[in-house]
Formats: sequence, C-alpha cells, structure tokens
Amino acid sequence: MADTDPHGPLGAAERRAAWLFLAPFGALLGVFFLFAAARTAWFSLTDYDLFSEARFVGLRNYGALLTDDLFLLALRNSLMFAVIVTTAQTVLALILAVFVNGIVRGRGAARTALYFPSIVSSTVMTLIFIWLFQRRGLVTDAANWVANEGAAIACFALVLVAVQTALVWNARRRYDGVAPLDPYFLIFAVAAALAVTVLLRTAQILPAGEADEPISWLNTRRTWLGMPVTLWSVAAINVFTTIPLMMLLYLAGLQSIPRDLYEAAEIDGASRRTAFLRITVPLLAPVTFAVVTLGLIGTLQMFDQVAILGNAAPIESRVTLAYYTYYNAFPPGGAPRIGMASAGAITLAVLTLGIVFLQRALGISDRAA
Amino acid sequence: MIDLPIRLLAGGFAALSAAVPATAETVRIAGFGGQDAAVVNGLITEAVGDRIAEAGIEVVYEPIEGDFSQFILNALSAGTAADLFYVDIFWADAVFRSDQAAPIADQSVADALLPNLAAAFTRDGTLLGIPKDFNSLNVNYNVDVFEEAGVDVPDADDTWAEFEEKLVAVSDALDGEVAGLCLVPDYARFGPFALATGWEPFDADGRTVLDEDFRRAFAFYTGMADSGAGVVAADVGEGWMGGCMSSEKAAVALEGGWMIAHLRDAAPSMVWNSTLMPRDPETGDRGNLIFTVAWAVNPASEVQDAAQELAAILTSPEAQQWVLEEGLAIPSRADLADNEWLQGDDVAQVASRNAFQGTGDGQVMPYEFGEYGGAWMEPINSALNAVLLGERDVDAALADAQAALDRLTGHDG
Amino acid sequence: MNGANALAPAAAAADADVAAPGPRGRMPLGALRRRQLAALFWGWLALVGLVCLFLGTFVIAFLASLKEDPLESPFRFVFPQIQPSAWFAAADLGAQAGGGAFWGGFGPGADLLFSATWAVPPGETLETPVVEVPRRVPGSSIARALTTDYASDHAAVEVVAVEETTVTGPDGALWPAARHTWRITHAGGGPLVDRLPFTATVPRGQVLIDADLPVSAMERRGRTASWSNLAPGALGLVFDNYRRVWNETVDISSGERLFPWWLLNSFLIAAGRVAMIVALASLAGYALARLRFGGAGAVFAAVIFSMAIPPQVTFVSNYLVIRDLGLLNTPWGVIVVFTFSAHVLLMKQFFEGFPREIEEAAIADGASHWQVFRHVVLPNARPALVTNAIIAFQAAWNDFFWPFVLLSSPPSSLTVQVGLLSLRQQGAGGESDWGLVLAGAFISVVPVVIVFLIFQRRIVDNQLSEGIK
Repeated sequence: MADTDPHGPLGAAERRAAWLFLAPFGALLGVFFLFAAARTAWFSLTDYDLFSEARFVGLRNYGALLTDDLFLLALRNSLMFAVIVTTAQTVLALILAVFVNGIVRGRGAARTALYFPSIVSSTVMTLIFIWLFQRRGLVTDAANWVANEGAAIACFALVLVAVQTALVWNARRRYDGVAPLDPYFLIFAVAAALAVTVLLRTAQILPAGEADEPISWLNTRRTWLGMPVTLWSVAAINVFTTIPLMMLLYLAGLQSIPRDLYEAAEIDGASRRTAFLRITVPLLAPVTFAVVTLGLIGTLQMFDQVAILGNAAPIESRVTLAYYTYYNAFPPGGAPRIGMASAGAITLAVLTLGIVFLQRALGISDRAA
Repeated sequence: MIDLPIRLLAGGFAALSAAVPATAETVRIAGFGGQDAAVVNGLITEAVGDRIAEAGIEVVYEPIEGDFSQFILNALSAGTAADLFYVDIFWADAVFRSDQAAPIADQSVADALLPNLAAAFTRDGTLLGIPKDFNSLNVNYNVDVFEEAGVDVPDADDTWAEFEEKLVAVSDALDGEVAGLCLVPDYARFGPFALATGWEPFDADGRTVLDEDFRRAFAFYTGMADSGAGVVAADVGEGWMGGCMSSEKAAVALEGGWMIAHLRDAAPSMVWNSTLMPRDPETGDRGNLIFTVAWAVNPASEVQDAAQELAAILTSPEAQQWVLEEGLAIPSRADLADNEWLQGDDVAQVASRNAFQGTGDGQVMPYEFGEYGGAWMEPINSALNAVLLGERDVDAALADAQAALDRLTGHDG
Repeated sequence: MNGANALAPAAAAADADVAAPGPRGRMPLGALRRRQLAALFWGWLALVGLVCLFLGTFVIAFLASLKEDPLESPFRFVFPQIQPSAWFAAADLGAQAGGGAFWGGFGPGADLLFSATWAVPPGETLETPVVEVPRRVPGSSIARALTTDYASDHAAVEVVAVEETTVTGPDGALWPAARHTWRITHAGGGPLVDRLPFTATVPRGQVLIDADLPVSAMERRGRTASWSNLAPGALGLVFDNYRRVWNETVDISSGERLFPWWLLNSFLIAAGRVAMIVALASLAGYALARLRFGGAGAVFAAVIFSMAIPPQVTFVSNYLVIRDLGLLNTPWGVIVVFTFSAHVLLMKQFFEGFPREIEEAAIADGASHWQVFRHVVLPNARPALVTNAIIAFQAAWNDFFWPFVLLSSPPSSLTVQVGLLSLRQQGAGGESDWGLVLAGAFISVVPVVIVFLIFQRRIVDNQLSEGIK
C-alpha cells in the first residue's frame, strides 16, 4: 500500500487525478449508460411516439406487456433460448475439449482454425447460415440424406455395438480395466461396421429412401420442445460460433489440472468416468462459471441474428426480448411505441441482472463445495 | 394575411428564377429501392429532367432497401427525413395521423387526379399526398411453356377451376419441371380471390369476419398447392411469383404492371403475355386490389415550396406518360386514363391495359386497411403461410386468424 | 470419455501386480501402449473432424459465392468457376475480345471466334441457331439505370464455319450434330465494355452438346442458350460475383460505388473506436487500479453493471441523444455510443499486475500522477494497449447493432455489416441476389482475418486467460 495519507494534501492530489483520469470515460458511461438506463425507466412509464410529447401513464405499459401476446412469446423465447444454448454450448464444449485434450501434434493449427468462427461477424455468420438453411439448401439435403440412409445408419450402429461388445467382453475375461469404449477395439469395431454397411448398401440389401422434401428451417411457425424451429436454427448458428471459443477455454483449463491427480485416482481404482466426474468437472468449475456467465449474458441479448433474419422468418418465430424492444421502438408501418419498447427493455435488464446474480450465487457455492 | 405579399414576392421570384436558374435548391426525395430506384432515376433524369432544371431544383434521390415504412417514420421522428417521400396506401395512415405530411398546395394537381385515388390520400378534405400512379394484378404467363405443354393459355373467361386445371395440366405435361404458379403467403396476391367472392374486409361494425366466402377463396388459393397447380415460392428458392416466372420455375405469375420491367431485366428472351384475373365460378366476378403510392411532402422540410413543386412535376402528364410507356404503372391523372398508348398490341401495352382494366372489373378494393395498416394483413398472411407449409389445416388457421383480427380490431367480445 | 491421460500410464502398469490382485491381470504393457495410441488417434480424428466442420462450412459457402446461382439445388461441387479448362477458355476469349486474359471485356479491336455444337434426334433436321448479342445488363435494375455502354451497340456477329458431325445423344444413339463457329468483332471505336452477352436460340428439341465456354443459363425452356459474358477472362469468370458486388452496388443518385464506402466507413468507425478506447480505457483503468478516491466502488459497480446490461436496454435514449447531437448517419455517433467498460476492466487488471515500486519511486521524486502515468506506466503498458486495440478493432468492425440503429441513409453512410444486410433485402419481392450477398460477406471478412493472422497468438491467448478470470 502507498504510504501517502489519503486525507493529506497528497491524497487530495490523488483524488483530483483520479477524477480527471476517469472524466472522459465517466462522461461517456454517464450519458450512454447511466442516463440512458434512467431515461429508459422513465420512458417505460410514459406514452411516447417520438412525435408528440411523452405523457406519464404510470405502470400501464407493464400491464399492457402482460396482455401482449408478442411480449409473452418474446419472454418465453428468450428464456428458452438462453437456457438451451448455454447448456448445449457448455456441455458440447467440455466434451469436445476432453476428447481433443492430449493431442500434441497439429494442435496449434487446429486452434487457429477453430478460432475462426469467433472472429467472423454475426452478420456474415447469419447470412451464410440463412443460405445454408434455405428450404432447398444444404442442411435440407443433409437431413434428407440421413432420412434416406436410415437403414444403413442403423446397420452401422448395430454392427458397431455388436463388435465392440464382443471384443470388450472377450478381453474382460482375461484383463481388468477394459473400458466399454476401449479405443483400440473401437478402431476394429468401426472398420468392421463400415465394411459391412458399405457392402450391404452396394449390394442393395439395405434399402435407401428417396425423400427429397424441402424443409422449412426459418420460415415456419412450427415449434419443437416449446421453442420455434426458427430459433432452434438460430441456436445452431450461435452454438456453432461459440463452441470453438468455449472449447479452447476448457482446453486451457484442462492443461492446468495436475496429471498426478488422475494417476492417484487410477491407483485408487477409480474408473475413468469417476475420474471425470470427481476430478475434471470440479476442477474446471471456474472455467464453467466463466463459460456459463458469458453464455447467459450473450444469449439473453440475442438480437443480431434475429434482426438479420428479418422477413426470412415470421416475427413470432424469431422474436426475443431484445428484438421486441427494437420492434416496438421502430415498428414497420406504424408510429414508434417508445413506452412499450422501454417497458420491454426494463424487463430485459431486470431479467439479465437477476439471472446473473442467481448464477453468481449458485456458482460461488458450487466452487466452495 | 401578412405573409401574402411575401408569398407573392416569393412566387414572382420563383417565376424569375425559372427563367434564369439561379442557385439550385436541393430537394431530397426518398423512395423504395430495387426496381423503383431505376424508375425514379429515369424519371428525374430523362422524362422531366429539363422541367426540374428549369424550376431551379436539384434532386437528390435516396432509394431505401428493406422496410421503407419503418425507415421513413424513423427518419421523420429524427428530423432527418427527405423533403419528398413515398407513402404507400396501406401504411399511409400512420404518417397522416402523426401529421407528418404537408397538405398539397396546388389545387389543380388535386383536381386532375382520378377521384378514388385522390380519396385514398385525403383526410378531412385535405389532400396529403399525390398518388403518383397505380397498378392492379393480372395473369402473366410464359407462352413457351404453355406451347411446349400443349395446354391452352389462360384467358379472361377462365373461372378459378378452369385456371387451376390449365396450371395442373402444364405441370403434369412437363413432369413438374415447371410449376403452374408460385404461391406466396401474402394478402397482396390472395386478396383478389377473397374479394371476388363478394367478401368485404370490414363489415358494418368495422369488424373483419372471415366468413364462408372468405373460406372458399382461402381453400381454393391454398388448395392449389395440393392439386399440383402451384408450389410454394420458397420451395423453389424464390421470394415472389414474378421471380418464379422469370426464372422459368413457374408458368404463370399473378403480378401487376411491374412485371414488364422485371421480365425485361431478368428474362429478356422470354415470350410472354397477360390476361385478366380468373373469375369466381359462383359469383362470376373477378376480384382485384389497387396498389398505389403517393408522393408526400415533409412538413418540416426547409424547401417546402420546391418540394411541392417537384411533387407536381413528378406527377405531371409528361412524367406519368413516360412511366406508362416504360411499362411500369398506370397514370393517376384522369386526363391520361383514355390513353392511345394503352390501345397497342405490344406485350407491355397489353399488360398495362389489363392492369388498367383490372381496376374496373368486378370486386375491386384499394390495398389499404385504414388505421390498422399492414398489421391487418398479418393474421391472414400468417394463416396462408401455415396452410401452404402444411403446418395447419384451413379451419384451424382461419380460427387463429379470426381471433387475431378480433384482438386487433377490438371486437373480442 | 477416453482422453489419453485417463488411460493407465506406464508407471501404473508397472506395478500392476501390486495394485490389482485377483484372478484376472492387468493388460500387458504393449496392449496398454496400443490403447494409448488408439486414444490419440480418436482424439486426433475428432479434432480433424471439428476443423472440417467449422472451416468446411466457410469453404462451401465460399464455393457457392463463386457460382452464377448460389442457390442451385442440388449443390454441385464441380462447376465452371473451379474448372481449369473453363479458366483457360475464359482467358483465351477475354484476350481475343481485347479485354485481356485476366478480367476480360469487349473492346475495340475485338475479334473472337466462338464455337458451340447442337444435336437433334436422328431423323430430325438441324436448324441454324439464331444468335444475337443482346442488350443486357447483369443483375439489378440499378445496373440498368446506370449502364451506358452496351456490347450490343458495337458487336457484329457472323457465321464463319459449320461443321457437320455426329455425337452420342442422351438416348445412346448417334445424333446428327453441327458445330457452328461465329466470329464476333467490335465495329469501330468505343469503350471497353465489361461484358459480352450472347444468346443462341434453336427450335425445341435441338440440344446444346458442347461449347467453348460453359453456358450460363438455358432460357425459354432450353431453346435459348445464354452466355452472360463471352469474354470474361479467367478472373472475370471465377470472381464475377466479387466484381459485381464491387462495381454494381452503386448509389443511384451519385453513381458512386457503395461497397468501398461501406468498407471505408467501417474502417473509420473501427479506427475511431480504437483510438478512443486505447486512450480513455487506459486512463480510466489506471485510476481504478491505482488511485484511491471516494466513489471508486460506485464507479466500479457501474462498470460491471454496464457490461451485463444489453445495449438494447439503453438504445432508445442513446438513439435520441445521438439524434439531438445531429450525429445520426455519421461515423461519430457510432463511435461514441459504444460503452467500453470491458476494455477498462482489462486495463485495470493489467495495471494491478504492474510492479508498484517504480511508480512509488517516481511519486517520491515529486512526479505528478499524470507524469507517472504518461512516462512510467504507459511505456510499459504496450502489450496491454495492443491487445486492447486488436479486440476493439475486431468488435468495432463486426458491430452490427449500433450501425443498424444509427445509420440508415444515404446508402453510402452504412458500414459494411449493415450494407450486407441491405444487399440481402434488395430486389423486388424480397428475394436476394445470393451471389452478391455471399461475395460481399467474404470481402467483409478480409480485414479481421488479416488482423487475426498477424496477431493470432496474442488474441487467442488473451481471450483464453480473460475468459478464465
């Protein structure tokens, strides 16, 4: 600690310097964040269309929100989207990181390549995905292929499981510690399954479907598990963009776990699953905390992709809270509804802060455990 | 009264400056992007370029891609809007209600307009925008496709059933390589079928009732996807009927006069023709929608007079005749209605004539929905979309739409 | 999960007899080693698979951006733009047409020979194709409004040779065929025109077999073969969409190209943000890290809060402030509206790790806080400043929301991200010209990719350590 007296003349100079140093940033933060947040709160209590004067209406806008179908839809969509995407990207990133961990050769190049999606703008990513998700686009082709090759895929899976089980069972008669997914046997199992499937498929014994249906991924009102299919597609864009970064975060975390912990566990006879659950997951808790926090904040403000979709999808299938705010501030073909927009914005702010606080509380207790 | 002498002075000055173009006054105008950008550009450079220069006006044109209504209301509230801008009939109300259009000063301009068009942009007896032209839908068809399929081309006497039959026959004869028609979930294309049944958008109480007549039209339109007469436009990678026709994915497109310019650009070698919309077999009537866009003057404009004058020039007989002969839209001036050009046999002339006749034959309504604006169409479009995508049946979709419309119009009991 | 480190290491295997009593033994050392290698193989395969998935998406989209119709279905992986034979033909025709082998074009002195072969089923007669250099513009109607020079005004076409042959028809039989060769010349002076469109129309049933340059589209149900440009040049063939998005996205009132404007605006905004953030974030970060003052806690709280609250919450007020300052549709508004709390936090963390003794020595020598900051701290903060600048550049270049809200007109005031969106919304009926959209998207990525490749170590490492903190 510095040895100057904070109440002496030197302390005054320090205070003055501090405020001067902070002044430019503070002014911007004051105008564009504090004042803006306060003004949004005020607008949310008024009826205002940008043309005539704002009129105080109390809490009427909040009441109107509760009866606005689009708002309720936006709230529901936002929450589901945040939970689904955050969960998916966290779990997938962790699994992939564990999988890839231990590879030394080619890792630097892979890291650069995997980082690529996170430097590309959301506009470009979304445009590419809109193109991929055309009703007759490549994603549809892929889905049709899977549907058509259902028999072959099932055959592959069956042979794979059968061969692997047989090999593992045989080895277990003689040795301890043979994992069900023994990596060495898996090579033979996959090769065998592949050979059998290709053989049966070329001999036309396995039937192939002829589905060639266009599929609506974006322009649709369908829902799946309670969330619009459109938003599932947006979730795919989101997970695609964020997984590499999160995976790299986990990889860095895995590097810092001391290797002898696993060795000790091995000596104690712990299975790899146990080691994963008891060592890897708890020691990665700080990374998980960061990943989940980033994920929740990022997904709750989902806006860019939804706005870029624009008329490519119905509003009900893509509306999120952030977009609801914009949609009311600048509605197509109507006068601005600033009051409703602001009430939606305040809801979004409260929701974000609430979730972050809640998660922080849970996250800390998790880390203490 | 004080400003009268000043106005006279200003008028005198304007007359003087017309003779000797002094410093040109810059008038910013805003309109749609895409094809309209080229049209307005042609208008201000070719058709009436001299008159604009004589008036001492320099025009800066801002074509807007994307949602124009959102853009212009935004710009009006921000005070950055152009001096003269498009107002589409179906969202005009949002602009007029917030007093964002100056009254049209020149009474002679107002008097020259077709009365029903002028009425659409008049509030409390004041004309707030000059309709620049108008359009309606007709049946545009690819002659080569019908010839190859050996099917009679659509004609003005076709009923819905006959029209559908021809489309199915085309599609069948060509093994589905070309669809009969691309279907879009849009009231702007489906509307004429609903109107042909005698259905009216609003009943006496101002409620929208999706009755039996509406249901019949709705079932026919969406049913064309099942009968093989049509495909959903998005299925063949297109966003509108005209795109399907110009890319030869569909034999027919229900579009307006803008198809003339579109096909000239997108499918210059296509041999095509047009005819009137098919008739409802029960009422024997056709239906149609009148599409129109007006020029409105920004009341906050600093070059008010120049903007008013420019609006008059852009809707003058020369300008409108040019637009007509370019094959773009029908003049809104009554004195141009009886037009020699419209009698010709060129495909552009036939298509324009059909668009003109379409507005006077059968059940025709302007493409506007009063205070509700475009929001009124949303439930109907949404229902069309759900049924065309096979996600809902007709009755369920219409029940949803009826409920949404009732909420919108405040008739939910 | 079969991460390699979870496998029994050799050390554990060595005392297997101690650790695992019982009838069954541990695997022999060789078998364990094989398992380790196998696990590595699977991990490596997974990594390759991931890289293929993540980069492959971009590669496929890039291929599509070269196609004349990126929406074609089914998707072809082999198309003229990636076929060397087509490159050579295009280069040859471009050179003959007087436009050069690279970018092609049709200009004075052009004298090119072009051949194509049509066939008919046996027993039918072959008709001579009716050919024309049509008066066409590519793509948008804006291009029509601004195009003044047409190849059709200068081109003369004549048949120079007709060679009768037979070919194997689609049904396997021998079909009579004729190979027509046309000579296209440029009459007199005139400018170099980018494109030489060409159409050849035959009666129904006559089939185009082969041509010197792959046909662009079949019109009139296969009767009219249409080449959008007979003299493309090699690059003009491959990067046609790129050239189009650069040349044909124009402001109709000024005739100016928009894409360079969009890139410039993006650069200006990114540069402005970088300058603002590097200067102000380090000042603020230093104050928060080192200087003691009442209210530091409140300022810090505001910084943290502003990072969690989405910009959509504050945008209405910010829009109005920018509007009232008259900064709508200018780069300035987009620059200042961005709250850079995360950057302040980054600098604060950096300064906290900075050895304190040097500063204290300087203070003891009577230096002011500003002098300490300017002459002692800042020169040593270079790595943090560079990192901050890179992240700020990337974020500003990729920013969508603020330009979307604050920039709308004229079209030359947009940034490249919002400009791309306007490309997607272009066209009657809302269909997009995907060739332009995808080509524009790939051009827009170039600057961030360059920055990334130069500074990749720093970016990746920093993001990783930041995330964990």
